Amino acid sequence: MAGETRTTGESGTARGTTGWIDATLVGLICVSIAVTVLGGLIQVSFGAYSMTLAEAWGAVTNPSILFNGDAWRAFLLGTALPEMNRRALIVWNIRVPRVIVGAFVGMNLAVAGAVFQAVTRNELASPYILGVSHGSGLGVLVTFVFFSGLTHLVPLMAAVGGALAFVAVYAIAWNGGTSPVRLVLAGVVVGMVAWSLQRGLFFFVEDIGVVQSALAWITGSLTGTDWEQVRLVAPWSVVSILVAALGARHLNVLVLGESTARSLGMKVEWARFGLSAVAIVATSSAIAVAGIVSFVGLIVPHVVRTVVGSDYRRIIAGSLFVGPALVTAADVGARLGPSVVAVAAGAVILVAGLALGLGGLLGSSAVRSRYDADYTRPAGVALVVGAGMLGLAWLAGGPAVSETQLPVGIVTGLVGGPYFLYLMRRRKHLGDL
Amino acid sequence: MQTQDTHYEDAQPSDATTDSALVGTDLEIGYPTLEEPVVTVDRIDVPEGEVTALVGPNGSGKSTLVKALARQLSPDAGEIRLNDRNIQSFGQKELARELGHLSQENTAPDSVTVEDLVYHGRYPYRGFFESVDDADERAVERAIDLAGIDHLREKSVGNLSGGQKQLVFIAMVLAQETDVLLLDEPTTFLDLHHQLRVMETVRRLNEERDVTIAIVLHDIAQAARFADNLIALDDGAVYDWGPPTDVVTEELLEDVFDVDAAVRYTPDPEIVPKRSL
Repeated sequence: MAGETRTTGESGTARGTTGWIDATLVGLICVSIAVTVLGGLIQVSFGAYSMTLAEAWGAVTNPSILFNGDAWRAFLLGTALPEMNRRALIVWNIRVPRVIVGAFVGMNLAVAGAVFQAVTRNELASPYILGVSHGSGLGVLVTFVFFSGLTHLVPLMAAVGGALAFVAVYAIAWNGGTSPVRLVLAGVVVGMVAWSLQRGLFFFVEDIGVVQSALAWITGSLTGTDWEQVRLVAPWSVVSILVAALGARHLNVLVLGESTARSLGMKVEWARFGLSAVAIVATSSAIAVAGIVSFVGLIVPHVVRTVVGSDYRRIIAGSLFVGPALVTAADVGARLGPSVVAVAAGAVILVAGLALGLGGLLGSSAVRSRYDADYTRPAGVALVVGAGMLGLAWLAGGPAVSETQLPVGIVTGLVGGPYFLYLMRRRKHLGDL
Repeated sequence: MQTQDTHYEDAQPSDATTDSALVGTDLEIGYPTLEEPVVTVDRIDVPEGEVTALVGPNGSGKSTLVKALARQLSPDAGEIRLNDRNIQSFGQKELARELGHLSQENTAPDSVTVEDLVYHGRYPYRGFFESVDDADERAVERAIDLAGIDHLREKSVGNLSGGQKQLVFIAMVLAQETDVLLLDEPTTFLDLHHQLRVMETVRRLNEERDVTIAIVLHDIAQAARFADNLIALDDGAVYDWGPPTDVVTEELLEDVFDVDAAVRYTPDPEIVPKRSL
């Protein structure tokens, strides 16, 4: 590439606009799209009105709706819905919007997480690091407890609570300027206070139903989402993600450190505030439609960074696709219930363990080069864990779709733990941005 | 105090006809957490088209002074002028096109490639939406060439040695194509080979492209060899300044560095340290 850049001007422009896209990133994006589509189809096919994956695919790609201007106007602008058959109605009016909202939530949280990891120069930062999650949780509780007549405003109150927490964090951190450490500490302060107040408010709720819906809000749930939520989240997402993607280059400079960034001509305080504010808009709009879905904003940029390296143009582009894949997959788990998840995960782990073990025994070069002679341990662990999960699921009565839906935030949280466990075992130093 | 003043009065710029690219007057520079200013300087000159080395013992205020000159730190009092214009009046990017600054400690993510890192030096030339153009590319090629890191360009920063890393960061600052360059201890912690590589790059930059350079150096012998001017700082004040042959004396080593040493002029000053005082 070096030789070409010197001889032709063409490749120079390519370098700036598309030169950073590499095969790994494209592969990651393709896999993510496949996971999102598959997860979406599974999601669409399950429920009280059940259908096969093929039927679901047929309903989703039904040209009489896909190319129907009236239908899209109804979905996106909220006008009256045109005539459609029962299956199309259920798929398009109830199940598809849930998948779309989940995808938007995944995108927003993942991109916001990537921004915050750069702004705070901390790879364990998440969109909630500046007190946003507890701030919006407080907003939700305040609405439920003091303004029980205004529960339709909960999305707005959640977003406002998060944004107010962010402003408070900045006000506390500001001392002739900010620094990543000051911001994170102020985030802890504001988060703790909001968290305590929010927990305190639970004692004032008398109705167990209200407690449950408040809990669903603060763990994050996609149950009952509708085109209305799509209309709510889409515009904010598009704008904030666009700005974040354009800001990726600036994030690359910001992670070089404050002094270097300033020497390179960056207005560090403005860049930091502006990029954080954009990420807060993305986060708040995600919270407004799905509540506080944990771990997505932490894991996704982290996974993407591990795969594609630390160039933020790549991280943001990757997060944009991996985020929806994770949330969609997790929501399938939330929809189908713990036993199905255990069977699926157990089967995947078991197969991976078998492949690794057999590959090692047969002398596969891919296994040998990666694990040396030490492939028996991970393979053994995978076999035991996979078999254990299948056994547990069998003891619990087989892979039955559960009646009650879990909040999706619980599933993402359960995915987050093992991921970091894996990281801690595999990687020597955690901390490269 | 008296001796310092006399030294200061005696001092003359090495060449009376050269103008100063960077001038500080009546400076008092401190940190918000400290009561007293760390550096108090009546006047400091970085002559245009020359290499000026700032020397002094640990804690004498070299880095603080450089930070103020680079506008990383705003002085409590006094004024710094770049090309006869108050440095505060520059826009952030405008300043970064005129004045390059490499701080003492630099970090970059391990997986960034050398070439990508050097391209960051073009940041001040790009608008929010603009991408890299031919001029950026040429500047990066020149910088990589000057720093002699062509063989490293595809490597990631995490796989470089400390000395190679320093050369890469210098290339990044060179890509800014500024007329004035401030380098804060670029040779500290490097092995002798890389120290010389850095100093030769600095020298070449000055000779071939006429860049004004102010460089903080720990090693006074190195400073004497490579710089046109020395500014010796002692306890936050200018002890002496001028060409190395005038500044580097046994008296300076005794007063400022607390070292008993012999200085021979061949004609460059050579320092043979004997014992600490």
